[in-house]
Amino acid sequence: MRRFLVVCSSFVLIAALWAGSVFAQGITWWEHSNPPHNNYSKELVADWNKKHPSMPVEYEFFAMTPYFKKLSAALSTKSAADMFTVIDTLLPSFTTKDVLAPIRPEWLGYKNLDDMKKAYLPGALDGYIHEGKLYAVPMIAATFSLYLNKKHFREAGLDPDKDYPRTWEDIGRVGQKLVKMQGTTMTREAFDFAMHSSAWTMWYLEGLTRQHGGGILDRAGKKCTANGEAGVKAMQVRSMYVHKYKISDPTVSVATNALPADDVPKGRVSMFITHAGSVAQFGPKMMEDIKVVPFPQVNPRKPVSVVYGFALAVNPQIPEAKQKLVHELIRHVVKNAKEWYEKTSYPYPSANFLELPGMDEARKTRYLDVFIGDIKTGTYVTRTPFYLEISDAMHRAMERVVLKNEDPKASLDQACKEIDAALAKP
Amino acid sequence: MSRKALMRWGGRLVTLLTIAGIGLTLLPYFWMLSSSLKTGSEVFELPIRWLPREPQWSNYPDALSRGAFGVYFFNSTLVALAVMAGNLLFCSLAGYGLAKFRFPYRELSFRAILSTLMLPLEIVLVPTFLVVRGLGLVNNYGGLILPLAVDAFGIFLMRQYIKDLPDSLIEAARLDGCSEHGIFWRIILPNCTPALGALALLTFRDNWDQFLWPLIVVSKDRLKTFPLGLAQMEGIDSAAYHEIMAIAVIAMIPTAIIFLFFQRAFVRGIALSGLKE
Amino acid sequence: MFRQKAGWRGLSLQTRLCWAGFLFVLPALLHLIAFKFYPMVEAFRLSFYTYDLMSPPVFHGLENYRAVWNNPLFHQSFWVSVKYMFGVSIPEWFLALALALLLNRRMPGRPLIRLAYFFPIAMSQIVVAMVWKFMYNPLGVVNTVLGSVGVGRINWLATEETALPALILIGIWRGIPLFGVIYLAGLQSIPKEYHEAATIDGAGPWQSFIHVTIPLLMPTILFVMVMSLLSAMKVFLNPLVMTEGGPNGTTRVLPYFIYETAFAYHRMGEAAAASMVLFAFAFALTLIQLRLLRRGGVE
Repeated sequence: MRRFLVVCSSFVLIAALWAGSVFAQGITWWEHSNPPHNNYSKELVADWNKKHPSMPVEYEFFAMTPYFKKLSAALSTKSAADMFTVIDTLLPSFTTKDVLAPIRPEWLGYKNLDDMKKAYLPGALDGYIHEGKLYAVPMIAATFSLYLNKKHFREAGLDPDKDYPRTWEDIGRVGQKLVKMQGTTMTREAFDFAMHSSAWTMWYLEGLTRQHGGGILDRAGKKCTANGEAGVKAMQVRSMYVHKYKISDPTVSVATNALPADDVPKGRVSMFITHAGSVAQFGPKMMEDIKVVPFPQVNPRKPVSVVYGFALAVNPQIPEAKQKLVHELIRHVVKNAKEWYEKTSYPYPSANFLELPGMDEARKTRYLDVFIGDIKTGTYVTRTPFYLEISDAMHRAMERVVLKNEDPKASLDQACKEIDAALAKP
Repeated sequence: MSRKALMRWGGRLVTLLTIAGIGLTLLPYFWMLSSSLKTGSEVFELPIRWLPREPQWSNYPDALSRGAFGVYFFNSTLVALAVMAGNLLFCSLAGYGLAKFRFPYRELSFRAILSTLMLPLEIVLVPTFLVVRGLGLVNNYGGLILPLAVDAFGIFLMRQYIKDLPDSLIEAARLDGCSEHGIFWRIILPNCTPALGALALLTFRDNWDQFLWPLIVVSKDRLKTFPLGLAQMEGIDSAAYHEIMAIAVIAMIPTAIIFLFFQRAFVRGIALSGLKE
Repeated sequence: MFRQKAGWRGLSLQTRLCWAGFLFVLPALLHLIAFKFYPMVEAFRLSFYTYDLMSPPVFHGLENYRAVWNNPLFHQSFWVSVKYMFGVSIPEWFLALALALLLNRRMPGRPLIRLAYFFPIAMSQIVVAMVWKFMYNPLGVVNTVLGSVGVGRINWLATEETALPALILIGIWRGIPLFGVIYLAGLQSIPKEYHEAATIDGAGPWQSFIHVTIPLLMPTILFVMVMSLLSAMKVFLNPLVMTEGGPNGTTRVLPYFIYETAFAYHRMGEAAAASMVLFAFAFALTLIQLRLLRRGGVE
C-alpha cells in the first residue's frame, strides 16, 4: 500500500513539474472545427512547412461551439495563437477591444487597402473593416441559397427549372403542392428553416429584415429596431410556413436535429436554405437530385441576400517581424482561390473568381453562378460587439413565435427590451 | 388472498419491476452501441431502427482516424490516473488530520474546504488559468493535472471514514513508539482500503471526461483529452454521429474496467464509512 | 518506523499532536489555497469590476449586482436551477433508497443485477448528453417507445413545458445508481439483529422499516441530501450540449448563464456577481442541512 502511494505521488509530482511547453519556434494557427475545410488547411500547412522548415506552422483546431470562448479566454490571458481564423459575425467582439492586429495590405503584395479591395468582389472585405482598417483576410465567402429537390418537384407535377420559387410567398404557394401529410403528422415538409442555432436564426432574420428595408439595429448600432415594421414583417415570414401555409413542422428541424441540412438528403424536406458548403456535404450523388436557386426575395428586383465568411486574423501581441511572417503565411493560405473552391466547395470572394480557368464546369454543374450571384447581392450581418447577446435574444423571440405562435410584435418587443438592456451596459 | 399468496405476488411484481428498471437503465447503452454500428444515414432514419441492417464495424477504425484519438485516450487516461493518485494521497492525509487531531481553527478549515465545492468551475476558470500560467504550466500535463489533484469531496469522504476508526488503535501504536508518519502509513491507510477504493473510482470517473478545463489550458493537439477530440468531430453544421457513437463506446471501456476492478471494494467501502458524526 | 527527531521530544504530547494534525492537512490546504481559494477570492473581487476579458478591469462598485438583479434572464436562470436541483434531488432521495432496498433482498443473479443498475455511473458526461439527445429526437427512441403505448409524439427538447423535465429525467437516471450505492452500503451496515428483534416483537415489514431502518439510516440520508443538491446545482454540460439553454431559456441553468455571460457576452464582472449569488445560496442551503445532520446524526 505504502509503495503504491509513494509511486502515485511521485507520479503526480513528476507530471506537475514537467514544464514541457516548448516555445514554438514557428507560427501557431488556430481554427474552428469544420471538417470540410480543416483538411485543406492541413494540406496548406504541410506545404508551407516543406518550404519553410525553420519556421514551421503548428496548426490546431477546436470544436466550433467552444472555440470562441477559448479564443476569448486566450486573448484575455495573452496566450492566443499567432494567427487564428475568425468568423465574421464575431469579429467586432475583438476589433472593438484592440485584440487584433491591423492587416497591412503592403505586406500582402498590394499597394494599399483600396488596391486590395479591387482584387476582391465588391463588398467582400467590408465585413472585416472597422474604422477604416482591415482586421482580417477572408478565406471563404459563404452565402445562403435555396436548395430544392428536383424529384419532389417533378412528382408534384412542377418543373424545377421554371416553377422554382423566387419570393417567400412563392415558397408558400409551391410548398402546398409538395407537403406530404399522414393524418395530422407531416411526413415530408415542403420547406424548413434550420432552428438549431442562434447564428443561423440571425442570418435568416437579418436577411429578411433588410429585404423589408429595415435592420435589427439602427445605423449607429446603438438601439434595437427589430421590432419595427420591417422586423415584424420579417418575423411573420419566418413563421408563416408553420402557422399560415402549414408546410413546415418545427418539431422536425429544431435543436434535436444536429445536422440542419441533413433533412434534404433524407428526403424529409423539399426545399431548404443552406450555404454553399452543403454541396460538398451532400456529395455528387445526392446533388444530382438537387437544384440550387438564388436566396428568396421579397422584391426580386432589389435583391438582398446574406453573406458570411471566415477570415484570418493576426495576434497583436507578437513582435512586428513575426507579424510580417504571419502575413506571408496568410498570402500562402489564400493564394489559390480555385483550389479553395475545389477542395472545400466554398467560393472564394476574389474579383476574378468566375473567370478562372476551369470554372466553367462548376458554373454549370455546381451552381457556382448562383452562389456568386448571392454573394454579390449579399450583405454581412450588423457589426456589433454584442452580437451573441443579440442573436440569443432574437433566437428566443423566434422560438416564441414559431413554437408557441406568440404574436411577432409582442415577441420582438421583448427581444428589443433585452437587446437594449444589453447595449446599455458598458 | 392469504398473506403468503400476497407476498408471493408482491415478490413477482418486484421482480418484474426490477427487470423493467434494468431495461430502462440500459436502454441508452443499447442505443449508443447500436448507433455506433449503423451507417451515417441509418442513424437518423425514421421510423427508428433498433438494429443496424448490417453492422458497420468499419465505423470504429474510421472514427479513430478522424483525430489523434490514440493520443487523446492516452492523455485522458494519464490525467485521470494522476488526478486519482493525487486525490488518494492528499485527501487521505488531510482527512486523517481533520478527523483524528485537534488543532486551532480545525472546524473552520473544514468548512472552508467544503465551501470550495460550491462554486462552479466556469467562474473561477480565468483566475485559475492565470495561476496555472504563472506557474508555467500552460500547455503541458502539469497544467492539466495539478489544479485537479486535490478535491474537497475526497477530503470530506476520507474524514468521515477515518473518524469511525477506533482511537484505541492509534493510541496503542503511539504507545509502542510509532511515529505519526508511521501510524498513517501502517495503521490508518491499510484500514481505509474500501474508502480509498471508492474514492479512486469516483475520482477517476469524474476526471476521465474533463472537457472545460482542458479546453482552456491546452491548445496543442497532442495534449488534448478525448472529450475535446469528440467535440471536434462536430463541424459547423455536420457531424458523423455513427462515428461519434463509436468513440463513445470505446470511451466507456476504461471507466468500465476501473469500475469492475473497484466495484466490490466500493460497496463494502461505503458500507463501513458509517457517515455518523 | 523511523526515529523521531530530537526536537520533538521537547514539546508536550498535546502540542506535538496539534502540529502533526496541522501538517497532515497542510499539503491539501496549500493546494486548495492556490487553485481554489485564490481564484474564488479573485472572482469575488471581479464581481465589483467591469471586465470584458480583453481590456483592463474597471471598478464599478455594486453595479454588477444591480445589473444582475435587474436582469430578467438571471432570475429565469435562477429559478430554472432551483427547479432542476430539487426536481432531480427529491426523486433521487426516494428512488435511490427504493433501489437500495430492492437490491438488498436476496434474489437470483443479484451480483449481475447490481452491475446492471450501477452501470450508468460508468458513462461519461458528454456521452450521456449526446446519446440522450439522440433519444429525445422527436423521431427517436423515447417517442417510439411511448408511441407503442399510445402516447402522441412530443418534441421533448423543443417544447417549453417538456424541455426541463426531460433534462431532469436524465439527471435522475444518472443519480439513482450513484446514491443507490451509498444507501445500499448504509443498509448493509445495519446489523440484522435489530430487524430480528423487531420481528420478534411483532412488527411487520413496513413497521420494521419505519422504526428500525430509517432512524439508523439517518446519517446516510442526510449525506445524500446534501451531496445530491450540490452536484445538481453545478450541472451544466447537459443543457449546453442538448438544448443550449432553450427553448426560450427554459433550460438555462445558472452555471450556463454564468458561462455565457462571461465567455460569450464578455461580461466577466456580471458573471462573477451572479456566481456569488449562487455561492451564497448553496452555502446557506448546505449550512441548513448540516445543522439538521448534526441534530439527526449523533449516535
